[in-house]
Amino acid sequence: MAVVKTVADRKDNLDKILVKGGNPLVGKVTVSGAKNAVLPIIAASILAGSPVQIDDVPNLTDVDTICQVIASLGVAVARDGNTVKVDPAGLDTFEAPHELVSKMRASVVVMGALLARMGKARISHPGGCAIGSRPINWHLKGLEALGAQIRINHGYLEATAASLKGARIYLDFPSVGATENIMMAASMAKGTTIIENSAQEPEIVDLANFINEMGGKVRGAGTNVIRIEGVSHLNGAVHSIIPDRIEAGSYLVAAALTGGDVTVENVIIDHLKPVLAKLRESGVEVIEADTSLRVIRRSELKGIDFKTQVHPGFPTDLQAPMMALTTMARGTSIITETVFENRFMHVEELKRMGANIRIEGRTAIVDGVARLTGAQVKATDLRAGAALLAAALSAEGVTEIENTYHIDRGYENIVEKLQGLGAQISRA
Amino acid sequence: MVSVLSNESFEETMMFKAKQEGPPAQEILAQVYTALKQKGYDPINQLVGYLLSGDPVYITSHNNARTLIRRLERYELLEELVKSYLTQLS
Repeated sequence: MAVVKTVADRKDNLDKILVKGGNPLVGKVTVSGAKNAVLPIIAASILAGSPVQIDDVPNLTDVDTICQVIASLGVAVARDGNTVKVDPAGLDTFEAPHELVSKMRASVVVMGALLARMGKARISHPGGCAIGSRPINWHLKGLEALGAQIRINHGYLEATAASLKGARIYLDFPSVGATENIMMAASMAKGTTIIENSAQEPEIVDLANFINEMGGKVRGAGTNVIRIEGVSHLNGAVHSIIPDRIEAGSYLVAAALTGGDVTVENVIIDHLKPVLAKLRESGVEVIEADTSLRVIRRSELKGIDFKTQVHPGFPTDLQAPMMALTTMARGTSIITETVFENRFMHVEELKRMGANIRIEGRTAIVDGVARLTGAQVKATDLRAGAALLAAALSAEGVTEIENTYHIDRGYENIVEKLQGLGAQISRA
Repeated sequence: MVSVLSNESFEETMMFKAKQEGPPAQEILAQVYTALKQKGYDPINQLVGYLLSGDPVYITSHNNARTLIRRLERYELLEELVKSYLTQLS
């Protein structure tokens, strides 16, 4: 079954963004569905015995990729605007091909669901990662505890299990992907699975809600102990994806950096607490409403210190955009990255725009400068791209950002949304 | 340290945030319960998940239920539930 037009098709493969900086962002912007929630939920849809409908799905290249991955397994996938319909009746293959998995590391999340439905999964080993090692062994350890036999063969991960059995699993690190893979496999295992030291991110709660809507029994998601009672069969369901807290945070930062006045709509404020605390500390006014946040900057930015942590700490995905904010803040900011070991690749690009940053191990020390200037820069990964966009919007002159396919992986219609806020931005 | 407001500071425009009066816990719980039921969720599972984790994702946005539940501190909700349970026992 074919997947409708991909984001790449729609954008005619334009891979540069031009930004003329200096205009404060003003207006309202609406946040899309969360990328990090929708990918595992689309993967989990193959657990169902009947059709599934997922609403509020963002148009992103990563969503195209996960749709292609499950379509390659024989599953029917159809997309209409922000709705994805999945009919898993045709699931007849247990192998996710290399060309798709290599495009997106998160494809590995299909492994637990495949194992639960087919008793077998063969996935191209996702290998290394640009921002850190992100070991896959936490996923494998969990699946082995449920009774799967794992082999690594010719670059593929192969998991087989005649039947999965519930187990008590302690994760050495609260990995989001490992927690999701185990939740999916355990939802159809015999007996009860308890995941200790599980990830607590909101996207885990969204996945648990989805599995429960299909008739599963997942309890405790959002805490560090998740209990899953396996069921023999899951049904189709209709589910809406939660708003993207990282996209929301990126717009808040961009608004603050440009000295703007922006209302970000469709947010769950509790998911943004560490970000709001740091924005306020930097001298930005943040006004909370029920489902929206208004950011106004009336004065000079002040330097801030922060450390990335797993949820509910400061999210690593917003480290790069928040660093962009500190480049123009008065004084020195100290930023420590504790989640990934190689997530400062945006630093060299920000320096090309005039930022004063030095790296010492896992810490970046930022001395604020009075102005940034437009330059030719490269998005080295998704969130680095968002940081460069925020910096470009506040810089003097024109910035040309290359490799914007990274940005399209995680930000729906970003150029159009920023144009709506008065930004002078276009694709080239 | 005690901070003292000078006369000048009273002449400046000041903004106070009044505590929003809203419906009592019982009423909010009833509305949230109905919204969860209408959307096909198991309300007990969802409310327990919310009380344990504090994540509003457990509460549907249908009929404004997510906004309503955030008007109460979780301890107020728990207090209401424990009080009601113990009253029934005695």
